[in-house]
Amino acid sequence: VGLDFALIGHQESWRAAADVLAVLRGPYHVPLPDDEIKDILPWIPPRAICHVEATSSVGAKARGAYIDSFIPPDRLDVAYTRENLTRVRGAAACAIKAGAKIVSLGGFSSILIEGNFDQLPERHETVFTTGNTLTVAFIVQGIKKMCELEGRDLRRSTLLIVGATGDVGSGCARSLAPIVKRVQLCARNTERLRGLATELLADGVHVEIATELQRFSAEADVVICAASLASPSLRLARIAPNALICDAGYPKNLSPRAEILGATVFFGGLGQITGGMKFAPDFHGILNRHPFPDVVHGCLLEGMALALEGRFEPFSRGRGSITPQRVEEIEVIAARHGMCLAPLYNADGPVKDGRPCRTEWSR
Amino acid sequence: MEPVTNLSSLPTECTSSPLTAPIWQDVLAQAMTGELIAAMNYTALSEICDDPAEVADALEHAEGEQGHAAAFAAEGRKIGVHVANNVDAKYWKRLRIAFLRRIAEHDFIGCLIVQEIMLESFAVASYARVGKVAPGSLGRTFAAIAAEEEGHVEHAMEILRAERGLDPQRFDDKVHQLHLEVMTTLAEMLAKECKHGQCEVCHDKCVKPSLPEVALTPAELRGASLQQYLKTLDMLGLPGEVTLGWVTQLPV
Repeated sequence: VGLDFALIGHQESWRAAADVLAVLRGPYHVPLPDDEIKDILPWIPPRAICHVEATSSVGAKARGAYIDSFIPPDRLDVAYTRENLTRVRGAAACAIKAGAKIVSLGGFSSILIEGNFDQLPERHETVFTTGNTLTVAFIVQGIKKMCELEGRDLRRSTLLIVGATGDVGSGCARSLAPIVKRVQLCARNTERLRGLATELLADGVHVEIATELQRFSAEADVVICAASLASPSLRLARIAPNALICDAGYPKNLSPRAEILGATVFFGGLGQITGGMKFAPDFHGILNRHPFPDVVHGCLLEGMALALEGRFEPFSRGRGSITPQRVEEIEVIAARHGMCLAPLYNADGPVKDGRPCRTEWSR
Repeated sequence: MEPVTNLSSLPTECTSSPLTAPIWQDVLAQAMTGELIAAMNYTALSEICDDPAEVADALEHAEGEQGHAAAFAAEGRKIGVHVANNVDAKYWKRLRIAFLRRIAEHDFIGCLIVQEIMLESFAVASYARVGKVAPGSLGRTFAAIAAEEEGHVEHAMEILRAERGLDPQRFDDKVHQLHLEVMTTLAEMLAKECKHGQCEVCHDKCVKPSLPEVALTPAELRGASLQQYLKTLDMLGLPGEVTLGWVTQLPV
């Protein structure tokens, strides 16, 4: 019997990878030493590691599987692109073999494949979505909620997006640019930056672009970090004091060692499935390492939402095609099944009652 | 493909420096011992086959494995070392006993699982890795034998797939039982360090710490072998999450 959905992912840290292997190894075996994990993990072929059942708030259920591509956490950079592409293709083949009707591409899987769905194996009845539209929806919702909690007026804000020309970054730009005072877009590709800026300028938005963060004036008071970084290495040099920062990267963009004076950081792009989610074997808190139950990255939730809705279509195809209309559409679908913005949190814990926790990045 | 048996008749070619020759000597000794065990296993298998075609097949495989052993011995001569073998070395003996237990039970399917799925996964993967780094004809011989071993697994796969189709749960339970016995021994043999004393195949001290000198590591030989094993089980149709659990439980 085929699955309703499959989620393709990988672990963002060796700690997370060790925890996954510990569950697979079972409770009666001592955890593997760290050096053994680093030796073993790169050799594991992509495969499903658990069954997932998602329950809609209206009671419907969707059956799926989590497929790990086993990309080693220290091999996310460009030097390993070919190897990682092979892994994602292998994971996609597992999803197809399992008869999944829709597949969400989590983390670097979508970055590797986006816009190149033709590079995936013969698909038969399986469709793929990057899941990025729902990620954008939750980032935007998170920004709005944090502004509300902190009493900030988003209309008077200068918004900086790092990784602006990516699928998530450009989707956030299109959704938020019309409601802020000014937009600063930062990305590596000048041509794509110009293209996005032209698009936003046509809508009357005040836009600045730069390939280096240092080129911007230190006025950004709302920042979205959505760059495709192999490790948390982003250093935000010039932003306003007391800025609000949404780190939406997977792996996280911001280095824990970076010092951002007075800034408030929260992790963005996360949703919660209020109807609940079951893993077999039990990977709760391992595959979704968040301080709240049933919290999942938006990209993975998108596949579950579409499965519960019975809409087996490649909703998010990548390559910067996310529009505010599509964001609104997926928000409605997700909400119908009880998928909403996850409680906000950062490295120090939950953000509470309008008094957001300061992060370890703050002084 | 031409059988690798004939490689021993290739002209002599200097393929290794004197410094690394003792390392290749031990690598060749492990490979040769494995091939001789395989030849003995196939010969024993031929004795429990009912179908004359299967008897012929098993004997042909036995002959092929002996040819591989001869090819490895010949490679040793080319680099000026004597390649010994020890089919009674502790790990190899345990593997042999596990196979003979299946023979005693006239368990044809069990024999195929042990030899073709478990032992051949190890052979195919480790020979392929050695084939990539070993110099000259030594590397070519390992690569050619790896390809040949991989080729003859296919026939066994057909039989095993059909067997699994009859009762998947029963088949998977059987593979698991054999995994616990055979793969545990192989995992101990492939561990990064020989924690339980000498393997009794290396000619002097354990070769594992010296492998980096010839661009190999114990970790990659083990990793490649277990990867090949997992892929083979995938091809048989066993659930990937289950087999990964088995593999992660193996000793390190």
